[in-house]
Amino acid sequence: MREKRLSLIIAFDATTQAMAAEKYCIEHQIPGRLIPVPREITAGCGLAWKASPGDKACLMAALDAAGIHWTAMHEIEV
Amino acid sequence: MIQVNAMGDTCPVPVVKTKNAIRDLNGAGVVETLVDNAIAVQNLTKMANQKGYGVKSEKLAENRFKVIMTIGEGAAPPEPTQDECCLISPPGTQKNTVIVIDDDRMGDGSDDLGKTLMKGFIYALGQLDTLPKMLLFYNGGVVLACEGSPCLDDLNSLQAQGVNILVCGTCLNFYDLADKLQVGEVTNMYVIAETMTQADLIVKP
Repeated sequence: MREKRLSLIIAFDATTQAMAAEKYCIEHQIPGRLIPVPREITAGCGLAWKASPGDKACLMAALDAAGIHWTAMHEIEV
Repeated sequence: MIQVNAMGDTCPVPVVKTKNAIRDLNGAGVVETLVDNAIAVQNLTKMANQKGYGVKSEKLAENRFKVIMTIGEGAAPPEPTQDECCLISPPGTQKNTVIVIDDDRMGDGSDDLGKTLMKGFIYALGQLDTLPKMLLFYNGGVVLACEGSPCLDDLNSLQAQGVNILVCGTCLNFYDLADKLQVGEVTNMYVIAETMTQADLIVKP
């Protein structure tokens, strides 16, 4: 059985914002990856940024700097 | 309380018997099911979680488990039994599911969105309870198994979990990617034809 880990999940309202977040984070070597929104989370456009909970402050700062609008942050086992 | 004896029964029989017992309750109550394997425990637990029933299980002895479901007032009754009740298949009974990937994009329309969707699809495959038996890459799909692909971590993880990954050699040659393959084995059209004709299910995203 696949091992689950506590992860920070950032949901976006718009698919374009999620894709912009991925582009920005890759270009700026910000940790994490884009994934389909886990089933436990009903909000959002269907895509989410997944990272380690320890990277939360760094990610919030990066998304603010990039002007990317996110909807919700969750910490769940994924 | 209703007791169900599903000792010696293989999936999906324990789930079927338990669902029938829940229907017999005709309301709130408790159903205890005895099973002799951990797969049945997982399937019963998953069914209970999906239906919103309370569930706990205990190991009584080697090859003897008890799953206790608590059905609340107003809980949804189980639907008539369907194939989907076998949520987790015992080893050796897995369907021969082949995923065919012939492009680096999923669907028609925006290329950027298509690439994002394909990455998401390959990630989601690794989250399934029942993994596919094989991923087959050909034509434009082979780039996903090569250097620079954003899917390499997910493909390596799938391969490590026992999923076979085959990549069309003719296609690697055509795209000049033969020395860039990072995951999977090179294959030919005979194996591709054999794999697809012998599959129980072919999925093309």
